[in-house]
Amino acid sequence: MPSSLQSLDFFQDSYELRIAQLKEERGKGIKIVGTFCLYVPDEIIFAAGADRIVLCGGKADTISVAEQSLPRNICPLIKSSFGAVVDAYCGGNLACSHVPLVDVVVAEATCDGKKKMYEILPDYLPTYVLDLPQKPGSPEALDYFLSELRKFGKFMERLTGNVVSNDALKREIGSANETRRLLHRLFELRRRDPPPIRGSEVLRVMQKQFFLSPDQFRQGVSRLCDEMKHATPDTRTGPRIMISGCPMAAGNTKVADIIEQKGGVIVVEESCTGTRSFWDLVDEDADPWKALAERYLEIPCACMTPNDQRVARIVDLAKQYDVRGVVYYTLQFCHAYNIERLRVQKALKKEKIPLLAIESDYGDSDLEQIGIRVDAFMEMIA
Amino acid sequence: MISVGIDAGAATTKVLLFQDGEIMGYRIASTAFDFVTAAGKMFEAILASCNIGKKEVGNVYATGYGRNSISFADKSISEITAHARGVSFLFPEVRGIIDVGGQDSKVIAIEDGKVVEFLMNDKCAAGTGKFLEYTAKALEVPINDLGELALASRHPAGITSMCTVFAESEVISLRARGITKEDIAAGLIAGIAQRVAVMAKRMGLKEDVAFVGGVAKNGGMRAALEKELGVTLYVPFEPQITGALGAAIAAQGNR
Ligand code: SF4
Ligand code: SF4
Repeated sequence: MPSSLQSLDFFQDSYELRIAQLKEERGKGIKIVGTFCLYVPDEIIFAAGADRIVLCGGKADTISVAEQSLPRNICPLIKSSFGAVVDAYCGGNLACSHVPLVDVVVAEATCDGKKKMYEILPDYLPTYVLDLPQKPGSPEALDYFLSELRKFGKFMERLTGNVVSNDALKREIGSANETRRLLHRLFELRRRDPPPIRGSEVLRVMQKQFFLSPDQFRQGVSRLCDEMKHATPDTRTGPRIMISGCPMAAGNTKVADIIEQKGGVIVVEESCTGTRSFWDLVDEDADPWKALAERYLEIPCACMTPNDQRVARIVDLAKQYDVRGVVYYTLQFCHAYNIERLRVQKALKKEKIPLLAIESDYGDSDLEQIGIRVDAFMEMIA
Repeated sequence: MISVGIDAGAATTKVLLFQDGEIMGYRIASTAFDFVTAAGKMFEAILASCNIGKKEVGNVYATGYGRNSISFADKSISEITAHARGVSFLFPEVRGIIDVGGQDSKVIAIEDGKVVEFLMNDKCAAGTGKFLEYTAKALEVPINDLGELALASRHPAGITSMCTVFAESEVISLRARGITKEDIAAGLIAGIAQRVAVMAKRMGLKEDVAFVGGVAKNGGMRAALEKELGVTLYVPFEPQITGALGAAIAAQGNR
């Protein structure tokens, strides 16, 4: 099934441009921050006059290097990311994490695996860790996170020598919100039946969200939306599917590809490479620091407890996008998302929405096993 | 209409001929290396024995791990759907299926003959026929005798390791300690029954559960599973053919 959307080429071609841009910035002394998670606010990095790229690994080839230092039974995203740092080798392929371009890593205290991996990172790269409250629902948690964000702001000021002013922050909040609104527009178009774009295509776009510069990314998404408005939709009529779960970092499209091969039509992804990254906007009228703290603590990540808002969001999205089934995707050994599956499944069951759980890594050895489950699931919901 | 179902499983291949609501005949054989040719031969043999020409066969549906390689099949369906349809044909009242085959095990919940949920274990030999095969070897008894032996046990041995490789060495050390073959066999069977029962309980299967797949032929295993689940299991006259049967029924075209 060929895609007719020409503007997707923009994202393919943007790669070289972006690398060149980062190199040029470094030459001018602009600091480049590497990130691994949605909880690190872009707004603060940009307000300090720095740039950023995401370092999350989605490919298997750096895992064996990582396993020389890390236990085997941790999530492949952590191993792949760490391996890329250890290798510090930029082969110029699309999923390369570009570690050598980065001045500093801004990490976050989320899952145990990442937290402990970040303790080893300073052997390779300067690393700053942003702390997070784990029970985000209280005013105290908000206060604490606010103080953490301010500390992070100070860190960025020391790193860059620039002041993170309220005005700069407000400007960046406006910019990030613009990106979020644009992504809402993209995802809104996918509610059509049949949708004008394939899920795997959107995934590949979303994997670039924190790699490209905001300008570049918006340019691409906005072209895409314009083209989609007039695009002849995909003629396939398979069941509408939602993916929910762990992030699918650049290089990892395995499960989305299988679902589409088996005739599923992916219409929405509840993940960090999906709705979690842009769904909530930052309040532009409030105090910028407070507004940031509030918005970022709302991210429904399974590292938080209790994560009721995620369960509710999934049910809500499943209805909004009129899906016939949910594929609950987890990375192997990701306890947070694996355990949370049960609550999600129960909530969906109440709404009579079937769920297929798939736990996988970055290897190819389980393609057949995933295929049979997806086949059976498609037959079940057909 | 005459239809044929082929279940190209990882361990065994089954071919079944179905006509006017009746099973006309079936064949079961170990899956050979060249399983596509082997399945073709079984297909021809069954036609010959039923005195039916190839042209008289309406549809051929394939299921099982090799389902997409059976070139002479008209269509393929997943094992989950196939077992559900086959079992529902034999036992319309059944609401749950436990299938323990040579290399995988699955649990399926059905409502009105339709699959509503399923779980599969095909990543680990524990909880499959492979586990029994290896441990029977370590015990030096034919796998078919394992169930009988287990039924004769008075004090089933506790087998702590569910990893097939480690269970093998555990069997050897139990034997060295003088534990009887009966007790070891019972321990092994209780172990795999527990493992499979956890999957069934996870899905909330309670009553009207069928037990199919090659391992269902093992009386000791059936008894152990019934004990774990506290139910009487429905076991078809030939537990290995429900997948092929379901495929053949699906090939009839009507639901
Ligand atoms: S899943 Fe949670 S910890 Fe991982 S990147 Fe997303 S928000 Fe961060
Ligand atoms: S996928 Fe899970 S285990 Fe892996 S980094 Fe994210 S939260 Fe941690």
